[in-house]
Amino acid sequence: MSDEEVLLQSPLLYRVLRGRDGALSIEVVVGGIVQFEVRVRLNAEETESFQREGRAFADRMAQAIMANPPFGGRSVKSPV
Amino acid sequence: MNFISRALVLGSLSTVVGCASMKGGTKSPDTTEPTPPPATASLVDNCDDTQKGVSKEADALASPYGIDQHVDKNFPDRKVSWLMTDGAYQKFVVQTGAKNFGRCNDVACYLFAAPSASIQGAVEKSKTADGKHDPAVLGQALGLPAKNFEGPLRMMTLDLAAQKVCTRLPVDADPGVWKCTTPDDKDCFKFGGYTSGGAPEVMVINAPVADTQVVEIP
Repeated sequence: MSDEEVLLQSPLLYRVLRGRDGALSIEVVVGGIVQFEVRVRLNAEETESFQREGRAFADRMAQAIMANPPFGGRSVKSPV
Repeated sequence: MNFISRALVLGSLSTVVGCASMKGGTKSPDTTEPTPPPATASLVDNCDDTQKGVSKEADALASPYGIDQHVDKNFPDRKVSWLMTDGAYQKFVVQTGAKNFGRCNDVACYLFAAPSASIQGAVEKSKTADGKHDPAVLGQALGLPAKNFEGPLRMMTLDLAAQKVCTRLPVDADPGVWKCTTPDDKDCFKFGGYTSGGAPEVMVINAPVADTQVVEIP
């Protein structure tokens, strides 16, 4: 975990990370009266969108994950 | 000298009589009606115009219910609590030096919270012999999936009335709303002041970190 680079930390309670392998993932705090983090690995298209749009794209993706945390089966609960 | 002595004696006497009156010793019976306790201020009074507008629309949608009835019924002591995984607390509150809890945009910070008594009772009930908590017990008590409670947690408690914090019914447009997609969904948002699991909830605006009590739940 400590090898990850934080590319973006948002007050909307998400952050975009770059792993040791260079892949990007987004970690989002989901839930209401109980809040926990889930992670989604960005695919090639999403990575390109983030590189092009930056925060605007990340905001949209984070909000989509908050609204539907399973995110089509792509999200995993962040390790404890 | 004589005048001064007389004044001192009279002053002492009036003090004695005054004290006796305060104790009720020489006070005549009070025939006035007892003063009713002051009406409890609405937590919406603590909101800015934008949040007051959102609250008004939410109350209209929930009519004849509303935030004031909801708070009186479910939050009689005006205290709220919520839970976060320790990881989320460290990464998004401690490491960032956040001033407010919740998801923040350009307008405000938005936080879902439940009655303190419910959360604290559930946490107490879930405590295990080794000093940790049982996610299954906590999940069952709050009507949410057990997986949401795995690992170390932090429990936050805030006195909304004492800190004069803006509070209203949550609405669909609030950041972090998790929309229910199937009837079996247990941890998603339904309008009306209750989670899909049946726990009362409110939307707290700009919950100050500095005025919030934080407890570690191993």
